[in-house]
Amino acid sequence: MRPGSTSSACAALLHRDLLLAWRRRGDIAMPVLYALIVGTLFPFAIGPDPALLARIASGVVFVTVLLSILLSLDGLFRGDIEDGSMEQLMLAPQPLALLVGMKILAHWITAALPLIVVAPMLASMLRFPASAMPVLVLALLLSTPLLSLLGAVLVALAGGARRSGMLLALMLLPLCVPVVIFAAGAVSAAQQGLPWAAPMAWLGAGLAMAVVLGPLACAAALRIAMDT
Amino acid sequence: MANWVPLWLHRLSSPQTFYRFAGAVRPWALGLALVLGAVALYGGLFLAPADYQQGDAYRIIFIHVPSAWMSLFIYGVMTVSAFIGLVWRIKLAETVAMESAPIGAAFTLITLVTGSLWGKPMWGTWWTWDARLTSELVLLFIYLGVIGLYHAFEDRRQGARTASFLALIGAVNVPIVHFSVNWWNTLHQGATIRLLGPSHMDSSMIWPLLLMMVATKCYYVASLFARVRADLIAAESGKAWVRDLALGTQERA
Repeated sequence: MRPGSTSSACAALLHRDLLLAWRRRGDIAMPVLYALIVGTLFPFAIGPDPALLARIASGVVFVTVLLSILLSLDGLFRGDIEDGSMEQLMLAPQPLALLVGMKILAHWITAALPLIVVAPMLASMLRFPASAMPVLVLALLLSTPLLSLLGAVLVALAGGARRSGMLLALMLLPLCVPVVIFAAGAVSAAQQGLPWAAPMAWLGAGLAMAVVLGPLACAAALRIAMDT
Repeated sequence: MANWVPLWLHRLSSPQTFYRFAGAVRPWALGLALVLGAVALYGGLFLAPADYQQGDAYRIIFIHVPSAWMSLFIYGVMTVSAFIGLVWRIKLAETVAMESAPIGAAFTLITLVTGSLWGKPMWGTWWTWDARLTSELVLLFIYLGVIGLYHAFEDRRQGARTASFLALIGAVNVPIVHFSVNWWNTLHQGATIRLLGPSHMDSSMIWPLLLMMVATKCYYVASLFARVRADLIAAESGKAWVRDLALGTQERA
């Protein structure tokens, strides 16, 4: 039997993952609700002073988004590893890196995109100025795929481990520091009316590198983790 | 022809040979570390003159700076052996990488604590979000992540291989720590000791520092070899040479 083309395999996998996510729509809403609830805790914890809230809004949004992505990442490969479809993907004639890249893309669409949609609302609840909102959305658009790719590599590593939830946080959060620095840096520069192109360019450069290396590293990590 | 070097290295990578070799080297390395460390401490704490600005408080550098070097050096060793272990599947390289991680984490912690103790009188704060401090803290977290991932697996070798991969990913942080004082102009001072060109330090202060550096390297070797020996015994517990060792039929190395 001739194997199907790589692009049709990728499209099929993407379709399958999106369909699976759609059948469990409740799971998609969870990270969003989590982000909204964590975001609303801040005004209670530090007081409803608008100036203070506006100053920390971008940081709160980024950290909250990061934590919700972390929560949703945990199950990225678990279902596939448990029901054996991961082995099928690894045995497939198509390159594993591309297939895994499709899974990461599907994860980004289902987990990160809803977060980006609600982020402006969350930010304006924290008195974030509307003038800087496009920069916030742009920074999120660049940084969330970066977090998804980085996280996917680590999830792949932790895939075979017991109690992987906390472990994932311990591994992922230190590596996310540069992403948070540049993303929050760009937004706070825009908030103060300063040029924000430089940190944004750094984010874009990081994303370009991660798009190339992330799926390859993720495939290598999966091969190590599944190798028993 | 000098092909005994690769032959010897090849033989050394067998757990049994390495176990004996490490057992022979360890006491010497430990003794050297203690003697050199004592001399360096005496030189640093008593012989070296007080700093004209910082007084005696600067003397913490004789602990702080060698530990900081070691925190990066051990990460380097861990990365290289993790790479070797992943590519050529050498069991010993995996063990060396995994047993390096706790030692490196300890040196990183010492660096952070001594730096913090020094920072209180000098900078007026225990901690500041300076580039070097932050990247060193991230280094500690990466070490802890590697250790945590290694222990999260039932199968030791799978854990070692997985954590080795994490160590390779985390290696991007090492140049950031090293160059952070050049890239960002924050509070932590730049490099004082240079391999190339003159150092910004008097020779009366430099020799204890360099001696301490050698002492910490020796300590690392001693500590690593002890840990690797214990790990090899545990991993190879079913093998004949370990049984011989346990029964005392073989001469103790």
